[in-house]
Amino acid sequence: MKIRRVIYIGGAFLLVMVKFAFDVIGKNIDIGGVGFQILRELLAIAIFVLIFLTLEGERGRRALNPIRTVGFLLLALAGVLVAALILTSMPAGGFDAKELGLIPLDYPTLFIASLLSLIIGIFAVVVLRALRDLILHIRKKGTRRTLLAWIVVLLAATASTVMLKPLDVGVLTTVLGILTIIAGIANSFRLHWIVYLTKREKVYGLVYGFFLFLGFIGLNVLLSQGFLAGRSLLYYSHPAQEFAQLTFYCANIYFGMAFVSTLFHIPTADAFERKRSEVTSLSSLGKLVTQVLDFNELVDTVTTMTMQVCEAKSCWLEIIRAPEEGTRGGEQVQTLPEVAGSGPPYHVQVVALKNITRGEIEDLVPVTRKSLRDAVMVERKPLLVDDCASDPRFKGTATKLPGSIVVVPLLSHVGLIGVLYATKETAYGFVKDDLDLISAFADQASVAIENSNLIKKSIERERLLKEIMVAQEMQKKLLPQSVPQSDVLQIDAVSTPAFEVGGDYYDFMELEGDRLGIIVGDVSGKGVSAAFYMSEVKGIFQALGRMYTSPREFMISANAALAGSIDKHSFVSLIYGIVDLATGSLVISRAGHCPMLYVSGNSVAYIRPTGMGLGLTTGELFGNAMEEHTLTLREGDVCLFYTDGVTEARHDGDEFGYDRLLALVQRIRHKSASEIKNEVLQTVQNFTGNQPTHDDLTLVVLKWLGSRPEDRERTSIGDTKNE
Amino acid sequence: MSEFKIAHRENDTINILELKGYLDAHTAPKLEEAFQSLMSTRRFNIVVNCRELSYISSAGLGVFMAFIEDIRKNNGDIKLSNMSPKVYNVFDLLGFPLLYEIVPDESEAVKKFSGKAK
Repeated sequence: MKIRRVIYIGGAFLLVMVKFAFDVIGKNIDIGGVGFQILRELLAIAIFVLIFLTLEGERGRRALNPIRTVGFLLLALAGVLVAALILTSMPAGGFDAKELGLIPLDYPTLFIASLLSLIIGIFAVVVLRALRDLILHIRKKGTRRTLLAWIVVLLAATASTVMLKPLDVGVLTTVLGILTIIAGIANSFRLHWIVYLTKREKVYGLVYGFFLFLGFIGLNVLLSQGFLAGRSLLYYSHPAQEFAQLTFYCANIYFGMAFVSTLFHIPTADAFERKRSEVTSLSSLGKLVTQVLDFNELVDTVTTMTMQVCEAKSCWLEIIRAPEEGTRGGEQVQTLPEVAGSGPPYHVQVVALKNITRGEIEDLVPVTRKSLRDAVMVERKPLLVDDCASDPRFKGTATKLPGSIVVVPLLSHVGLIGVLYATKETAYGFVKDDLDLISAFADQASVAIENSNLIKKSIERERLLKEIMVAQEMQKKLLPQSVPQSDVLQIDAVSTPAFEVGGDYYDFMELEGDRLGIIVGDVSGKGVSAAFYMSEVKGIFQALGRMYTSPREFMISANAALAGSIDKHSFVSLIYGIVDLATGSLVISRAGHCPMLYVSGNSVAYIRPTGMGLGLTTGELFGNAMEEHTLTLREGDVCLFYTDGVTEARHDGDEFGYDRLLALVQRIRHKSASEIKNEVLQTVQNFTGNQPTHDDLTLVVLKWLGSRPEDRERTSIGDTKNE
Repeated sequence: MSEFKIAHRENDTINILELKGYLDAHTAPKLEEAFQSLMSTRRFNIVVNCRELSYISSAGLGVFMAFIEDIRKNNGDIKLSNMSPKVYNVFDLLGFPLLYEIVPDESEAVKKFSGKAK
């Protein structure tokens, strides 16, 4: 591309030199032949074509800026006029007119004529390109065709002069010239670029248009035959003169029209500009509705656009929330007015602000007393204060007051979600259009914000669901996969998780000396934190369980281990029993957990040694409170460990309770451990009916079958197993 | 849907919270909020009247645990009164009577505070 341009420029320069040589020869020797004449003209045409091609290649197809094009043209025109005036005022002999031809009287004349012609010719090419660009800037039907028609007749008129001597006037040329000017007039209505200028640009355009109009008149006068400049061009090349002159006439008309048209557009420039920015702002806000993943970005854009749209001085957006966001509908919310202090019954949060500080906002619309915000929240309509200084609602405001302020509620289907404010420095700064626009804006913004909230909520829900699944998975893995098998002790266990993850835990551990540890517990809270504490309890049990043969001692050391890591408001209840499989002795300690149900023969009782929950307190208090209960199992005895999911199982406000459980187990005490487990579970589930279990439920059933024969011999207990 | 309400009364320097309904994981935040606002205004002498409290879960008990330390640090206390046997059983199972003063009647709890203050 670059090489091509170098060739064009080099070629043009070379041709200029050749042409100059020709002219020098022509001055001294009267060759007079038609061939020589045509050769000169062809040279001139080639020069300008090459210049055109060079200019065309110069800038690619960059977007045209009309006002800059016009400005540049004016500058170039001024340059050409100055150059023409300087060059023609230089001392030179001028031309001798002979037989319609022109002959320079001296070399300065020849030199000046050549230079001036080149300058004017190049300028004509520049003007032609500029006109083409402006006319084509905004295309309508036929734009291209009219332009093409004009260029065709212009070039035809130019070509028709090739055979003409400098001062000769051809009929064909005249006709084509007139056609060119008519086509030029037709093209001079293609002024759509003016409409889309900003107001400022229109003012510039008006000035540029005016001076271009005058400048082209001047140039056209200079190029008329009476002046040296006109004669120079005619001498240099008749086609070039024709081309330049016609182009300049048309430019003269075009910019005259442009001037008038701009003049008419200026009064509506403001309105047009406003409408245009409205459209762009609204459409970009419309797009924003879909880009709601970043809330901060969203509200920032809303304020930025509000500023732009009504040329506000400052702007801010508040999100209004009900005091208790977390509570669901239908639930009675009891507030504590005395406790909560004198605060408002809603929560205000400034989420985006432009050109104003939080302190100023707090001063202008204080939360503590009635302000414009309250008015808008009640009325749910935009509020305009034309003159803040005279408004009583701003009395006592320390901050410098804005001239006028507009306050618009953001409404969604759930009600008021926010308030948008815009201020202007001057009183009566907002017109009705502004108000409409900001309202429209607020509507769009509330939709966007609402969507953003919905998406956030659904993401949150998704996250919670995943969390619950993870916790459920964890919980499942923490519970034993099977129960220990023993020929003297029947064991069965079940744990049904609630809808959410609970913190029920049970485990077994074979201890040295033929003993078995049975632990059942409940971690306060639900979800991942409960599952986490549960895994910690399991860790503690696995680690410390083997070290202690006394449940009480295990509890004390487990409490110490847990104390460091557990939350202030969380705790763990445990019940831990160790059965000696050889002797049937059962030692129990209870750390805040539900008492063990013990059925022996016809007697049935809850075994409830004292003991506090783990994590409630550290140190001596816990140890002092912890008791240990020992009992000796007899054949057919049943022990039931469980969690509060059993006793607190509810049906219409009625609890399953300890008494029902006791009666039930007493009735079915003859059945096997598995049967007892199943029956208790079934009964509790029947009791709740279709109501969802809101707590998990765990059951561990032990049934003592009696000592092994060898143990029996050893311990000399004469009981026989008859089952 | 479980229902839970808190009413607040002030008796000289003693703040009485009356609990009503079901205090479980869902309603516990309300009680938390009430304690929070009492503490933020430096009112540390608190009596919780449980006359109409029909159920309390471990999450409900946790609320008391969360605040007691700070309240006692500020020379205050939480005393509980008027519990139904069933509710008392829940407190008792966990060993709460060792940590909190639980009295049969509100006036008794108030008296204990007044004695301390004078």
